[in-house]
Amino acid sequence: MVDVSQHELVPEHTVLDEDTLEEVLEDYEIDRTELPKIKRKDPALPDDAEVGDVVKIVRDSRTTDEAIVYRLVIE
Amino acid sequence: MSAGQAPKEIGEISFGLMDPEEYRDMSATKVITADTYDDDGFPIDMGLMDPRLGVIDPGLECKTCGQRSGSCNGHFGHIELAAPVIHVGFSKLIRRLLRGTCRECANLLLTEEEKDEYRDDLERTKSLRQDVSDVMTAAIREARKKDHCPHCGEVQYDVKHEKPTTYYEVQQVLASDYSERIAASMQPDEDEDDAGISPQELAEQTDIDISRINEILSGEFRPRREDREAIEAAIGADLTTEDMNKLMPSDIRDWFEDIPGEDLEALGVDAERSRPEWMILTVLPVPPVTARPSITLDNGQRSEDDLTHKLVDIIRINQRFMENREAGAPQLIIEDLWELLQYHVTTFMDNEISGTPPARHRSGRPLKTLSQRLKGKEGRFRGSLSGKRVNFSARTVISPDPTLSLNEVGVPDRVATEMTQTMVVNEKNLERARRYVRNGPEGHPGANYVTRPDGRRVRVTEKVCEELAERVEPGWEVQRHLIDGDIIIFNRQPSLHRMSIMAHEVVVMPYKTFRLNTVVCPPYNADFDGDEMNMHALQNEEARAEARVLMRVQEQILSPRFGENIIGAIQDHISGTYLLTHDNPQFNETQASDLLRQTRIDELPDPAGISEDTGEPYWEGRQLFSELLPDDLNLEFTGTTGEPVVIEDGQLVEGTIAEDEVGGFGGEIVDTITKVHGNTRARIFINEVAALAMRSIMHFGFSIGIDDETVSVEARERIDEAIQSAYDRVQELIETYENGDLESLPGRTVDETLEMKIMQTLGKARDSAGDVAEENFAEDNPAVVMANSGARGSMLNLTQMAGCVGQQAVRGERINRGYEDRTLSHFEPNDLSSEAHGFVENSYTSGLTPKEFFFHAMGGREGLVDTAVRTSKSGYLQRRLINALSELETQYDGTVRDTSDTIVQFEFGEDGTSPVQVSSDDEVDIDVDHVADRILNSEFDSDDEKAEFLGVQEPPTNLSEHGAAWEVESDD
Ligand SMILES: [Mg+2]
Ligand SMILES: [Zn+2]
Ligand SMILES: [Zn+2]
Repeated sequence: MVDVSQHELVPEHTVLDEDTLEEVLEDYEIDRTELPKIKRKDPALPDDAEVGDVVKIVRDSRTTDEAIVYRLVIE
Repeated sequence: MSAGQAPKEIGEISFGLMDPEEYRDMSATKVITADTYDDDGFPIDMGLMDPRLGVIDPGLECKTCGQRSGSCNGHFGHIELAAPVIHVGFSKLIRRLLRGTCRECANLLLTEEEKDEYRDDLERTKSLRQDVSDVMTAAIREARKKDHCPHCGEVQYDVKHEKPTTYYEVQQVLASDYSERIAASMQPDEDEDDAGISPQELAEQTDIDISRINEILSGEFRPRREDREAIEAAIGADLTTEDMNKLMPSDIRDWFEDIPGEDLEALGVDAERSRPEWMILTVLPVPPVTARPSITLDNGQRSEDDLTHKLVDIIRINQRFMENREAGAPQLIIEDLWELLQYHVTTFMDNEISGTPPARHRSGRPLKTLSQRLKGKEGRFRGSLSGKRVNFSARTVISPDPTLSLNEVGVPDRVATEMTQTMVVNEKNLERARRYVRNGPEGHPGANYVTRPDGRRVRVTEKVCEELAERVEPGWEVQRHLIDGDIIIFNRQPSLHRMSIMAHEVVVMPYKTFRLNTVVCPPYNADFDGDEMNMHALQNEEARAEARVLMRVQEQILSPRFGENIIGAIQDHISGTYLLTHDNPQFNETQASDLLRQTRIDELPDPAGISEDTGEPYWEGRQLFSELLPDDLNLEFTGTTGEPVVIEDGQLVEGTIAEDEVGGFGGEIVDTITKVHGNTRARIFINEVAALAMRSIMHFGFSIGIDDETVSVEARERIDEAIQSAYDRVQELIETYENGDLESLPGRTVDETLEMKIMQTLGKARDSAGDVAEENFAEDNPAVVMANSGARGSMLNLTQMAGCVGQQAVRGERINRGYEDRTLSHFEPNDLSSEAHGFVENSYTSGLTPKEFFFHAMGGREGLVDTAVRTSKSGYLQRRLINALSELETQYDGTVRDTSDTIVQFEFGEDGTSPVQVSSDDEVDIDVDHVADRILNSEFDSDDEKAEFLGVQEPPTNLSEHGAAWEVESDD
């Protein structure tokens, strides 16, 4: 089986710890349910991500070196 | 909204079903007669035009609110339906509830645990802001699986929905010919080795008394369900038929009334606001007359609105229904009338339901009922709310005017006198305002209306304008005509991108067309073959300021699509600059000043030298072009012609100016000037390049004719030779193929290989014909100039005109369709030769043979169909994309969110930058320090002033080895 998370085109997904998450939510003045979503079965997710977790996705960007996105794991 | 009422703010909107009691409460009157007006033309009481429903005739008073037409918005009435009918809009929800609830106790067919599960699911879905209707679908699907009610144990039947509004319960009942069926299965069947079964055995197997079996076999006794199933099992036959039991709306209503509120909540229905039985109508609201006004025709006859016609039908049937029921009419007739009532109520709501014939007007035209008023392009949402018709707009044909700036638009005087701008009169503009009013509505610049300080509006007419002008004082408002310099908005459909709507400055002109500078054609995608454009005059200061700052053409030079300039020189401008700079020709003083006369340059630079022929000074083309460039421009890149273009300190040292230099869609010089020197400088540059190019193309003269695409006899022979040798090679290929000697290419069949090889050979033939033609044309051939400079056309076009048109293709293959085994009946069957499959050996100049012409038309049609299909498809995609993205907004914290504040992007475009403000080109770097220095320098008259403003920066003395870091610590 191919592990897609190791593919160079799949950006890094890491589960956010609660403290950092609180900061992020405060920064954007939102509930976690207002974050963009990602399905639990998404192959890019790390194995320890559970429903309700928030993952941080760091993408390479042509214009800014990194683009950071947060997503709530659902289902 | 009626006058005098203050606009109200909407606090909340809740969607739900409406209680029939609420219909009655809000009703101004019950409507009982289908008649509208009596013989004297007065509305009949409790009729469809009852004055309590509102007034449409001016002068009459509303009997409900006492206001007159215009101020009264109208009031609803109601019709008491003789029998309940189904609301078509809810037919799907009704079907789901029928399938998901018990036919006996009306509970949801789910156990308590399952209900809780769906309640939680609903909660979760809501909090994640996802679609709750998915949960209901899942719950109903689960409930439908149950064949017994988990609460009362009743057997459940399948519910069949016959669109639009009929529901059946499907039950399995004993077939009427059950005894024959049993007897038939009991007979021995020799073919299948079936020994048959005797009544005795049957009785034993099914545990039914033998006498009862005999009764069943004789048809005297109908077995009950358990017995029937036992017999079926024993003889292996089906004794049932489907029985369709129609559910009347009244049955459904009774059923729904019993559905408990908490069960509905598990499905996501708010039982407080929306009881499901309300989906079965017992009362029909009658829209106010103001929503269905009647019109009086020229002959004095009244013509009623479609909705009124439909309501008349409903009331008539309703009455007949009641009469028949009271008279005790047979059930069959009652049911027919009920169905008819259902039909009329259904078509009153929606007259475009599949499977139902639309209700028609006497003339045969389908009626426009409620749904039809809302749906579609002309409907309330897309037609009246999203897109309204507006005042202060004009539309006419466009034509070119190279003397205008790209920021300007020529507005016909008759448009200028119609579109007005509000001018608030004060001491300073009093004289001007009076002059406008004095000029009247017909003189330009005049005025159409004045508003006195008390708010009274007075029309300026030819008669009163003199007198009125004297009375104008500060504090008045004057609606003056458009004058030169006003800012307006200009648009061409289809408005596919931001640059389809831009702001222009007005130049009032005679005649009837809008005039534009040709360099704005690309952003609007306009040409002058009859195109029309729209103009909107802005009506307040804020809009005018916004248009000027954000929307003016010069602000749109850079395209947000690719971050380079979309506005630039086009067509003849490019031929012009090419002629001016390619061979760097020489001009005498008169010629040079003529070339530059429409630019800001009013003094010629030092001449490039003294002509040897005439002894007069001369100027060179590149030198004249350089006059338009900013003095500090430095550029070096590979240009259109493949040769380097070098600009040093604003002087074109080397290279040809053509499309890649000054053209729209990324002309390097225009792009750089826009980014480095700003939009205003770029606007000036583009205007001047266009002017200079026009003068220079007129200086040289530029025309094209048939002779320019005709090659010499010698060249023609060489072309024919090339084509002939290709034919020979094709013939060879065909022969090898027919002998079976052709080797197939990897992954292809032999047939495909042959096709490919033939295509290749013929392609080469066309190319070599093209090469011959190209060689034959001089560098100064106008078609060649246009192709080389990128002004218009390509070498391929030229090749096809002069050399050989080449292979015609349909779907990327040689033409293979037409008759059986051949393309046209002019050829032998299975002819593989090139001329039989669409190779056109003639050129456009020499003319095509009829067969060639036919093949050419086939290829050409494919192109036309393609474009037609593409535009319609992309238009639909565009609409969907716009609808999906229209409510997204970049917030002050940099995130992009939708209307419910859900984050879509954490940073606009992931980098928070506008494509217009970013350099898209790695080759030409923008020197930011240089730009900053230049701007600072231009802000101050002298170095001293600049130094004073910026403060003198003393060079730090006595620096430690650790740099400035030590200095930071202060004593306090
Ligand atoms: Mg056109
Ligand atoms: Zn009223
Ligand atoms: Zn039940």
